[in-house]
Amino acid sequence: MDIVIVSLLAAGIRLSVSIVFAALGELVSERAGIMNVGLEGIMLFAAFLAAFGAVYTGTPWGGVAFALLGGIALAAIHAIFVIYLCADQIVSGLALVLLGGGLSGVGYRLTIGRSPGEIPAFAPVDFGVLSKLPVLGPVVFGHTVLVYVAFGMAFLLFFAMPRTAWGLELRASGENPAAADAAGVKVNSHRLAAVLFGGAMAAMGGAFLVLAQVNAFVEGMVAGRGFIAIACVVFGAWHPLGVLLACLGFGITDALQIRLQIWYPGVPYQFFVMLPYVVALVTLVVFASRSVGPAALGLPFKTLRRVRKAR
Amino acid sequence: MALPDQPLLELEGVTKRFGRLVANDGVGFSVGHGEVVGVLGENGAGKSTLMNIISGLITPDEGIVRFDGKAMHFDSPRAAAEAGVGMVHQHFKLVGALTVAENLALGDPRWGRGRLRLERLKADILPIAERLGMSTSFERRVDRLTVGEQQRVEIMKVLSRKPKLLILDEPTAVLSREERPALFQMVAELAGQGTAVLIISHKLEDILESCRRVVVMRLGKVVSVSDVGGKSRDDLIRLLVGDDLPTLVPRTQSQTVPTRLLSVDSVSVRRSNGTLALDGVSFELYPGEVLALCGVDGNGQTELVQMLAGLLAPDSGSVRYWFDAGGGYLGPERVRKGGVSHIPEDRLKDGVLAASCLADNYLLTQLNDTRFNKAGWLVPRVLRQVVERAIDDFAIRAPGTEALMSQLSGGNQQKLVLARELANDPKVVIAAHPTRGLDVQTIAFVNNQLLLKRTAGAGVFLSSADLNEVWQVADRIMVLSAGRLHGPVRLSDTSLQEVGHWMTGR
Amino acid sequence: MIKIDSNLRFQMWLALSVTVVTALIPAIFILMAGKNPVTAYTSLLAYTLGTFNGFFEVVTQSIPLALVGLGVAVAFRAGVFNIGGDGQLLFGAIVSFALAPVFGDWPMPFGLIAYLAAGFIGGGVLGAFVGWLKARYRASEIISTIVLNLIVLQLLAWLIRGPFQEPAKTMPWSDYLPETLLLPNLIDGTRVHYGLVVALAAVVVVAVVIRKTSFGFKLTAVGQNPFAARYAGLREGRVVVWAMLVSGGLAGLAGSVQVAGILERLQDDFAPGYGQAAIAIALMARLSPVLVPFTALLFAIFYVGAGVLQREANVPFPIVHIIEGVVILGFLCFDALSRKRSLA
Repeated sequence: MDIVIVSLLAAGIRLSVSIVFAALGELVSERAGIMNVGLEGIMLFAAFLAAFGAVYTGTPWGGVAFALLGGIALAAIHAIFVIYLCADQIVSGLALVLLGGGLSGVGYRLTIGRSPGEIPAFAPVDFGVLSKLPVLGPVVFGHTVLVYVAFGMAFLLFFAMPRTAWGLELRASGENPAAADAAGVKVNSHRLAAVLFGGAMAAMGGAFLVLAQVNAFVEGMVAGRGFIAIACVVFGAWHPLGVLLACLGFGITDALQIRLQIWYPGVPYQFFVMLPYVVALVTLVVFASRSVGPAALGLPFKTLRRVRKAR
Repeated sequence: MALPDQPLLELEGVTKRFGRLVANDGVGFSVGHGEVVGVLGENGAGKSTLMNIISGLITPDEGIVRFDGKAMHFDSPRAAAEAGVGMVHQHFKLVGALTVAENLALGDPRWGRGRLRLERLKADILPIAERLGMSTSFERRVDRLTVGEQQRVEIMKVLSRKPKLLILDEPTAVLSREERPALFQMVAELAGQGTAVLIISHKLEDILESCRRVVVMRLGKVVSVSDVGGKSRDDLIRLLVGDDLPTLVPRTQSQTVPTRLLSVDSVSVRRSNGTLALDGVSFELYPGEVLALCGVDGNGQTELVQMLAGLLAPDSGSVRYWFDAGGGYLGPERVRKGGVSHIPEDRLKDGVLAASCLADNYLLTQLNDTRFNKAGWLVPRVLRQVVERAIDDFAIRAPGTEALMSQLSGGNQQKLVLARELANDPKVVIAAHPTRGLDVQTIAFVNNQLLLKRTAGAGVFLSSADLNEVWQVADRIMVLSAGRLHGPVRLSDTSLQEVGHWMTGR
Repeated sequence: MIKIDSNLRFQMWLALSVTVVTALIPAIFILMAGKNPVTAYTSLLAYTLGTFNGFFEVVTQSIPLALVGLGVAVAFRAGVFNIGGDGQLLFGAIVSFALAPVFGDWPMPFGLIAYLAAGFIGGGVLGAFVGWLKARYRASEIISTIVLNLIVLQLLAWLIRGPFQEPAKTMPWSDYLPETLLLPNLIDGTRVHYGLVVALAAVVVVAVVIRKTSFGFKLTAVGQNPFAARYAGLREGRVVVWAMLVSGGLAGLAGSVQVAGILERLQDDFAPGYGQAAIAIALMARLSPVLVPFTALLFAIFYVGAGVLQREANVPFPIVHIIEGVVILGFLCFDALSRKRSLA
């Protein structure tokens, strides 16, 4: 029984990481007041770029670098439209989903799709003795490096958001941009940085899927994770550790449904595949009416213009 | 302490226009170092505009502002703050979800560019905090504080920059009786240390208590500058509200038919920050009368109007219309169906569809009109005719029924709102600031229309901040001050003075 | 000389520039594939607009796109972002297929009408569920529609490998629909079926409802200014649920139509990306029901054309999604710049 739980936890952690990356990025973006529903598109594009980059440079880090560039580029589009043109945040995000998906599909079919080969992937980090421990070994010390990056990022945000000037100004920008502006905070600069960060993180999520979870690229492999990440931000009440827990919850449910397929072959496996999504839906309903996000989320902001001087 | 003789702040001929509206007209007065001066004026007197000029938010069209001897045109609040002007706004610029300490640190590089040095901030600000009684509140979330406490946070933020001039905009509007003395004491102490204080208020009593001189403003002009004690209370009130008692338009004595239209019974409502917006308010509305509600903004009028329109439920007490047997909360749909109309306070936000045409805007609250709504089926031709008729009757200047609402001027938009809300003989008309921001002719028109409805037997509930206008229109008048109701009384049983007193907080 | 006011002129220039940029983006990818964009475009247009087969293939493809696009337009008008068109489409197809044995015995055309109605109801129930979650629990419709999409996809996958599977039980698709429930061919020599009539009828009905009924008015009001809607006593919660019901219903209808007109049976994910394309279709039509068929036709040209581009120029099919994304961004750009211009 122990082995089952240990393997479930270890797998659950691994399956949650791509969502953790995307959700943490969205957390920062939303705390600054900007919603990005285009995460799915960024992840799709980044997944392709990660595969391409890894093959092209021969190392998974090359894939990460390509993915980051692509993610930031797409996020920059969103930022320009939403912050400076004051376009509707949701429509812009949806455009990104389509754009990212299209770029991913076209890119794949034009490049590595033609000559599929092995993609250089990350291997689990060898902690020596620690990796061989009975429980902690696989659960804590048996992961690829990006897993630790993701968790590290969660803790970093947990510390940085309440304790740094950056974190304070970010939160103020998302709660009451007018007050922040009156206090001298550059609201739109913070928002731009936050959106770009969100794009970079979502890209990490996509890269992780290819380079550390599945170790291959399949079209459409993101399978809604970008949207689940947004839901996890709500479930986590916009706190880094809460969001981490929510993503872990989804990851464990996902790991569980895979095992359930094996343990109960009599039940059509599609019902198990559905399971994490059903859980997500129920959780959404339970949490949505209770949690309140940053007060200015979704609303564009313009600093007050000084009235033209007297002639 | 020896203070410089030269005044700290001097205003000469300051004028500011917004379109056709002259918000400030040749304003001039001075404030010396360490002096406490009060600026007294009603809504629309021009106080806020003036303060925005002094604190750097807007620039005047004409006139000179001299600060500390030098002619200054601050071009941003930051510049003004750096020169030594500290402004505590009426509507606080605080971030509710952050703590007091975080709000104080926000945007202030003194407390760290990377890691926040909140401990240092707390140590530095402690003396000020102690004086304000806030030394134990640094870790509390601002939106959980009482409004008085929030105000003190705002004051702390301003005082931490050691300003030479402190401007307080309606500081007592949000304070309870118990909290006011502490504020005045702080003001006195600051003045004693050489900080000049400018207090803007509509509450005469507060100004008399805390200030040495008082400047009275009316309709954009300064009508009096005098030492406190140099003029009597009644004199000041007369200057404040004007002393030409408008001639009452002869009207037929309103027949108060015994059947009540509306009965409001001991209604209380709390705002989201905990303060009482309405405190045990009771009154009745009868057919064929205009019942006016007066009071300066922020004393509960908005909440009361929303309750009457069915948009807000009271925490205790009841609002009961004649058609409602139950007495429970009715939503806006039921209230309207019963025959109640509502001219909203914030036309652009609540009352109109700016991107739609005039016909659609008329239809918005007239969906029950069976002339053009046949069991869910709209008849655009008839709607257009009705709206064209309304455009004629109400002299609305518009290219046609298909013109977009956003193309109309504010006055004409309001006329359309009026046309639709007065259509189909409503039994009760709730009019919230119906003439705000309108030109003289349109104001007269609107008031006339309301009077016509009154004559026709409707009950008109008018919420307004303009006492003079109200005097021409109302039969009975009541005043909300800090959530408590004075009156209603018949106009003939009271005077402008008395009502002015109620409004200024006595 | 017609006097065009400067604002209108600006808008026209803007629309033109946006269209040109949008058309150019795929050209980049064509170049990357090593082909000449000009020949690629001309052969695309020649096929889709110039040949008999091509044109009617476009028309056929536009039928489900128009229906889902109509649904999205209705929801967006009410301020609800329905991106669950895919799931609602599949669910409508599932429900109508499930009831097909019953309707198959009914005389033509009653059986067919009942079958299509079941599709509408199936999609409508799903849509109304999403609307109710939003109205009652403030649950974001973006998340709930996407999650439901994924759930319905799995449901379909199970059904066609399980209870609905074809008699030989070997392939992942269902048995055929009863003959009486198939949409007859409309134009000989093409695949254009009576679903076109259904789509056009839907357009008319929706346009009439939106323009001429009080419900349609309330829908538009709620989407335009929810505060004013509340003030006026229009019940926004109710309106949202009904809007989502219609929106999902139209998507569900699209699903049944696709099955009855083209596929004749249920398959895995047989309408991929229609829900997302519908967003671009609805936005380009500026949420006007009457314009939806035209923008649907335009996107059908992209869809069919992408197939041509793939065959002739080896440009991968997903370029269609890039075009969709760029179109939406172009629309946003146009909208934002027009707004700024008129405020200045």
